[in-house]
Parts: sequence; C-alpha cells; structure tokens
Amino acid sequence: MLEIRNLYATVEGREILNGIDLIIRPGETHAIMGPNGSGKSTLANVIAGREGYVVTGGEIRFDGKNLLEMDPETRACEGVFLAFQYPVEIPGVANLYFLKAAVNAVRKYRGESPVDAMDFWDLVHERMELVKMDESMLKRSVNEGFSGGEKKRNEVFQMAVLQPRFAVMDETDSGLDIDALKVVADGVNALRNPERGFLVITHYQRLLDYIVPDYVHVLVNGRIARSGGKELALELEQQGYALYNEEPGRARRAA
Amino acid sequence: MTAIAPLFLDPYRLAFATFMAERREPEAISRLRHAAFARFETLGWPTRRQDAWRFTDLAALQALNLQQPSDARIDAAALPTLETLTHRLVFVNGRLALALSQVRALPEQTTIAGLAQSLSTHSPRIESVLDSLPGLQSHPFSALNTAFWEDGAFIYIPRGTVIEEPIHLLFYATGGDMAVYPRLLLALADGAQATVVVEYRGQGRSLNAPLAELHLGDNATLHYHQVQEESPQAFHLGGIRVRQSRASQAQLHLFSSGGQLARTDLEVLLDGEQAGCLINGLTLGQENQTGDYHLRIEHAQPHGTSEQVFKSVLDGQARAVFDGLIHVRQYARKTDARQTNRNLLLSRQAQVHANPRLEILADDVKCGHGSSTGFLDPDAEFYLRTRGIPWSQARALLVHAFANDSLSRIALTPLRERLGRVLATRLALDSIEGN
Ligand SMILES: Nc1ncnc2c1ncn2[C@@H]1O[C@H](COP(=O)(O)OP(=O)(O)O)[C@@H](O)[C@H]1O
Ligand SMILES: [Mg+2]
Repeated sequence: MLEIRNLYATVEGREILNGIDLIIRPGETHAIMGPNGSGKSTLANVIAGREGYVVTGGEIRFDGKNLLEMDPETRACEGVFLAFQYPVEIPGVANLYFLKAAVNAVRKYRGESPVDAMDFWDLVHERMELVKMDESMLKRSVNEGFSGGEKKRNEVFQMAVLQPRFAVMDETDSGLDIDALKVVADGVNALRNPERGFLVITHYQRLLDYIVPDYVHVLVNGRIARSGGKELALELEQQGYALYNEEPGRARRAA
Repeated sequence: MTAIAPLFLDPYRLAFATFMAERREPEAISRLRHAAFARFETLGWPTRRQDAWRFTDLAALQALNLQQPSDARIDAAALPTLETLTHRLVFVNGRLALALSQVRALPEQTTIAGLAQSLSTHSPRIESVLDSLPGLQSHPFSALNTAFWEDGAFIYIPRGTVIEEPIHLLFYATGGDMAVYPRLLLALADGAQATVVVEYRGQGRSLNAPLAELHLGDNATLHYHQVQEESPQAFHLGGIRVRQSRASQAQLHLFSSGGQLARTDLEVLLDGEQAGCLINGLTLGQENQTGDYHLRIEHAQPHGTSEQVFKSVLDGQARAVFDGLIHVRQYARKTDARQTNRNLLLSRQAQVHANPRLEILADDVKCGHGSSTGFLDPDAEFYLRTRGIPWSQARALLVHAFANDSLSRIALTPLRERLGRVLATRLALDSIEGN
C-alpha cells in the first residue's frame, strides 16, 4: 500500500533523508527505530506533506498513486494519518468540532453526505472508550493545556475516529508512563486489521512489547541501516545504537 | 497648513450659520453649539502631522462635498433586530424614525427617547449633563458633533432601577455624501443597570460622526455594545466619553467590520474608587478598510480596574490602528490596569500601527500591556490539514478561533450569536455552533 523508493529529502538545505526504501503492505505493522536526529520525524513529515520538507529524489506511492503530488489534506482524505510527535495546540477550536470538520472533510472527498449527528456521537463515544479518554476533553480546545499523555491519547483517539488506511505514529510512546503506554498500544492494536498498515516510529523498544511489529528497521543518518523481524528491537535494546551511530561506514557494514 | 485651514473652514462656517438660523431650542444648548464650533475652528481639520492623526488618512473624506442630512424612507424589513424583546429606537440619517421605533413599558422616571424630542420634555436634565464630560477636548469631530447634532437618543435610568430588556439604538445612513452627527446621552443614576446596543448601518457613502456620553453613577452597571457594520464606502469618526463613579462597572464591547475608514476615539474617566471597566474590541478589515481606535483610560481614584482587549483580523490591504493610553494619576493607588492588543494578518499587504502606552504617576499599581501582530500559525494549519480539512477551511477555523475569543466575552446572547454568524459568513464557514 505504501512504497517508498530511494527517497532523498532536505530541510533548510540540509540533506536529512539519504535514499530510503520501504514497502509496507496492507495489514503490516513496521517499526522504525533510530537515534535522535536520524531523520525519523522527517520521514513522517515527508509522508504527511509538511511544507519545508523538500523531496530531492525518489518517490512515494500510496496504492499506486503519487503521494508526493498531493497536498496534505488530500493525503489525509486518501487515508494517510500522522500521529504527531509534538501535537499542536489550537486554542479556540473545540476538539469535537474539529473532529467533526475532519470527518466531514473526508466524507466530502469521497462524495458522501455529512455525517449524521447521532451516528457521529455514537462513534465518538465508542472510540473515546477505546483510549479511555474523558468526555470533558471533547469540549476543550484541541490539545490546549493537555498533559503530554493526554495529547498522545488524543492523537490515537483522532486516528480511531478517522479510521485511516495507513497511519504513521511518530513517537506516540514518548513521555508516557506504563499505564498510558498500554492504553495507547491497546488503541492501536484494536485498529489493526488485514487492510490497515502502520508505521510505528519509536526511540525505545518498550512500545514494541505492546505493539508487536512485523518488521523493524533501523534508521541512521537518513538511511535504513538494517531491517529485520521483531527480534531486532530487542537486540537494539541491548546494544544501543552506538554500533550504527559512530560513522555511516560502519552502519552500512553492520547492515 | 495655515493657508489651507481657513479656506477649508469656510463651508463649515456657512453650514453652521445656516444650521443655527433654523434652530429653535433652549438658550443653553445654543451656547454649547457656539462654544463647540469655536473649538472646532481652533482645532481645525486634523492633519497627519498631529500625533493622534498620523495614521488616519482623511484625504478621501476631505475631498467630499458633504451635505446636510435629509429624510429618507427605509423598509423596516431591511433593519436588523436582536431577536429578543428590546426597547428600540431607529434613526435614519441621524433623525428618529418613530414609525420604526418602539419603547416598551418603562419604570417610573425612566426615559428612553429621542434627544430632540426630549429637549421639550426633559430640558433641565439634558442641559445639566450634555457636553459636561471631560475628554476628547481636542477631537475635532466631537466638537463638530456638539455643534451640529440634530437628534439622537436620551436615556435616563433612575436610582436603583434595572432595565432588563436591551436598549437597541439603530442608526441607519442612506448615503448621498451626507454628514450625520448623532448624539447619545446616557445617564445611569446610582445603582442603575442597563444594556445598550448601538448599531451603525447603512448604504453608500456618508460621514457618520456620532458622539456618545455615558454617565455611570455609584454602583451603576452598564453593558454597552457598539456594532459598526456600515457600508464599505462609509466614513465613521465617532467619539465615546465615559465617566464612572464609585464602584460602577462598565463593559464596552466595540465590534467593527464596516466602513472604508472607521475610527473611534474613546475616553474613560474612572472617577470613583473601585470603578471598573472592560473594553473589548474586535475589528475585521479587508480590502482597503481602516479600523482605527484611540483610547485613553484615566485612572483618577484608588482601587480602579481596567482591562482592554483589542483584536483585529486584517485581510487584503486593510489597516488597523490601535493607540491606547492608560494614565494612572498619582492619587489612584492600587490601580489594576491591563491592555492587550493582538492583530492577525491574513495577507502580506495588511498593516497594523500599534501604540500601547502607559503613564503611571501612582505607586503600588498593577499595570501591564502587550501588543502582538502575526500571521496564522503554520503548525496549526498543517495539523488541521493532516486531518483532511482543506487549507481554506483550516485557515477560517483558526481565524474564527482568534476572533471568537472576543465575541465570547459578550454576555448578551442574541448579539453574540448574531456577530458569530457575521464572522462565520465573512470567513465562509458553515455554522460553527457548539464550538
Ligand atoms: N523543521 C526543521 N528545521 C530545521 N531542522 C530540522 C527540522 N526538522 C528536522 N530537522 C533536522 O533534521 C534532522 C533530523 O531530525 P528528525 O527527523 O526530527 O529526527 P528524529 O525524529 O529521528 O529525531 C535533525 O538534525 C534536525 O535538526
Ligand atoms: Mg522525531
């Protein structure tokens, strides 16, 4: 469903992604691990279409369509979702209103009529339970004054309501205590199905105990230095990234 | 300048002589008019070399050959209402239109009426308060108003009386390069309470130079709303003077989305201990509109509070001017005064001139001010778009959130909701209720 081929990208003129190849099929969950600054969030932002992230080579196809030609909202309407590493606070826009606008935007894109108020309410309630979110968060402004954990939970909640076909989760685990981590993981696991793909970005192996991936990739200096099964995460936990991080040459040999 | 000013004044001298020749009114009122016209002659037409007028471009107005107001018929259906029971006075080109007005049953001694008509019934009271407030002494359009006003509203609420229904004053101009000088005289006696909505509307090109004088007695409470939705050709140069006695509370909500040039000069004198005022302003500007506010909050007595929150949203080549002074006299210790000015620019050509000022002569006061001008947050825009919300709608949502913060301070629900709809329409947003 998602094919990334030989992707190069720069930010502010600096080369951050240096030839990434990655194929994710429906139903698969891939994890990307890597040291800070290796380009994980850059990859997530390039997939979502953020301004300022300039693709200088390669391509990304989503269901065969050229993703890089689409603006961010079109990507979302096609079924791509990004759970932000740092969710944005939007004072004055209530969570519930925001969600409804998002759901209706996607429906409009598909040629469907606006969502029925009762159906929407039922969906929201069901999904709120999934991530154990308090109803009061619906009335509050998007992410405003939310704790780190609440923000991450809100990302998963939005994903659960929007039901994308492919989701990138950028360090959704960072800053969470173990209980919150389990809630987030349960939320994601409940959404896993044979049609849906996930790209889970994390700095720590811990999350992958709960969201068990099909594949693990190690990103170093903007390249995938190594790929493997879920065991690779454990190995990284024990050895750290030092092996990959010292210099790009060794990382490639290790791969 | 010296060569031009007298020439310019000549048509005004002629107009004033003609105007006075037709007046039949108490001697005291004529004296006020003559004094005010003399003041206007001394002040002259403002120039951009004066600090207070540096950013107000009057060239287009000055080029007009302004006419005296004339009567016009307008269709009642074209006039907005507050969709609730109100006392309502409608003025067409500055003159009370009785057929369009309705004042409901009032408590004893209470007056809500046309000012011209009240001169025959309440002359002593009017004479004692008209033009009696300090402030705006160097504002030429206030002087012109005192010289030339024909009509307006007179509102007197006696001691301890609470008027529940909003008092809706609607000033409608029909264009034709008329100069209209509506006058509003409002006096709340001790402990009185009222809610007033002053609305300026109209078509075509005209000058509207209203002057409102608001007197608040001890413990009086006033919720005052000025809604300026005049035509995009209109000039609005208004003045508001307020005097607040001990422990009185005023809220002044100033909403402006019309006019090619809309300027309001406002002076509030907090003249009793523990008097407090909130001034909440929102300006929406687009194309070549200028929205212009000049404020002076005068803290004269201890324990006063004032809060100003002024916001503007500017698109196209629109401009906003915010010139706000908090002046705390030496005697006014324990004053708590705040001023916030926030401007949101939707285009690179939009401009803001902000000049927040504090002059504090007292010790032991809490004063703060801040001004910021910026574009929409690109991170927030991106966040909304990653959820499928189109770019234009994402921007509209963010603008709405910025501006709605001002509207949410308005306690008068039907007005708040109506302005919310004005905002949503302006932003091409679907109903945003529940947000
Ligand atoms: N918006 C940005 N502006 C400037 N530099 C950036 C930006 N985003 C990322 N970078 C730089 O790109 C590199 C990779 O960052 P990032 O993708 O955030 O790494 P990771 O998510 O793996 O920690 C870092 O050196 C970072 O400083
Ligand atoms: Mg990151």
